[in-house]
Amino acid sequence: MSLAEGWYAVAVADDIEPGTSAGTRLFDQELVVWRDLAGVSHVWEDRCPHRGMRLSFGFVRGNHIACLYHGWAYDTAGQCRAIPAHPDLAVPETIKVATYHAAEAAGLIFVHSALGAEAPPPPAPVPSGRALRSLYVDLPLRSVAAELSKGFTRQDDGSYAGTLAGVPVLIFLQPFTASRTALHLVLAGPGDAVAVSAAGEALRNSFEAAPHSVLEAAE
Amino acid sequence: MRERVEMVFLGDFEPDSFAEFMRHRARRLSISADARRIDATRVDVAVEGEPALVDMFEMACSLGPIDCLVREAYRLEQGR
Ligand code: FES
Repeated sequence: MSLAEGWYAVAVADDIEPGTSAGTRLFDQELVVWRDLAGVSHVWEDRCPHRGMRLSFGFVRGNHIACLYHGWAYDTAGQCRAIPAHPDLAVPETIKVATYHAAEAAGLIFVHSALGAEAPPPPAPVPSGRALRSLYVDLPLRSVAAELSKGFTRQDDGSYAGTLAGVPVLIFLQPFTASRTALHLVLAGPGDAVAVSAAGEALRNSFEAAPHSVLEAAE
Repeated sequence: MRERVEMVFLGDFEPDSFAEFMRHRARRLSISADARRIDATRVDVAVEGEPALVDMFEMACSLGPIDCLVREAYRLEQGR
């Protein structure tokens, strides 16, 4: 199974505070999600061009993220701007992190899966939508989608609409690895967040308990 | 300021892999690296660019790709 090109939710926006970073994956590709101090979120390849250290271990300083290993600092376009060991060096433009298009909608951070390319418009905002949490399932995306389609309706933006604990919700799927999927839960109407959260966990557990051998054999 | 140096790497090389590794690093560091000789035991390369970037290239190549083992690295003008 390969990854269909498109927008994928990779984090709950509120979980990535200004000045912080986190690592995630999109179909095994390691990504860093970080937010600069101006509040803008970025999704890049999680690899420092210097020696490949994960940038998700780095530090955000203003509108730069600095690698933990030797401190090379990258601006919001991924361009290296400073190399501490060579303060006088005019850093060449070729020292640049591979960046993805990122956007926020429905309280989630989305990434477009094609590196660098022009991206189509991101998913539309969900009116009154509120991102609740992310849940991880040890199943391929295809199996999760098959399970979800039993009680939820697939939308044009790839999300699944339905109800949990009687509250309207949207679920966005992230193919984390070939065998692990994240479900990002968005409340699409007023309701008890704690009850929805518990119902989401029960749903996740039911997926893992269901027999999937046939589906997985087809991967 | 730019400098031009001749580097030699000795070890066990997969020539295609090492050549691609040098091309990739040179492109990233905006320096020129002109391989003069690449065989299973020795690589000679003429490198030109900003000294700090040339040093980084040398450091990267002395680690090299996973399928090559660099045992020794030196510059030709340094008396060898
Ligand atoms: S590996 Fe990132 S600065 Fe060295």
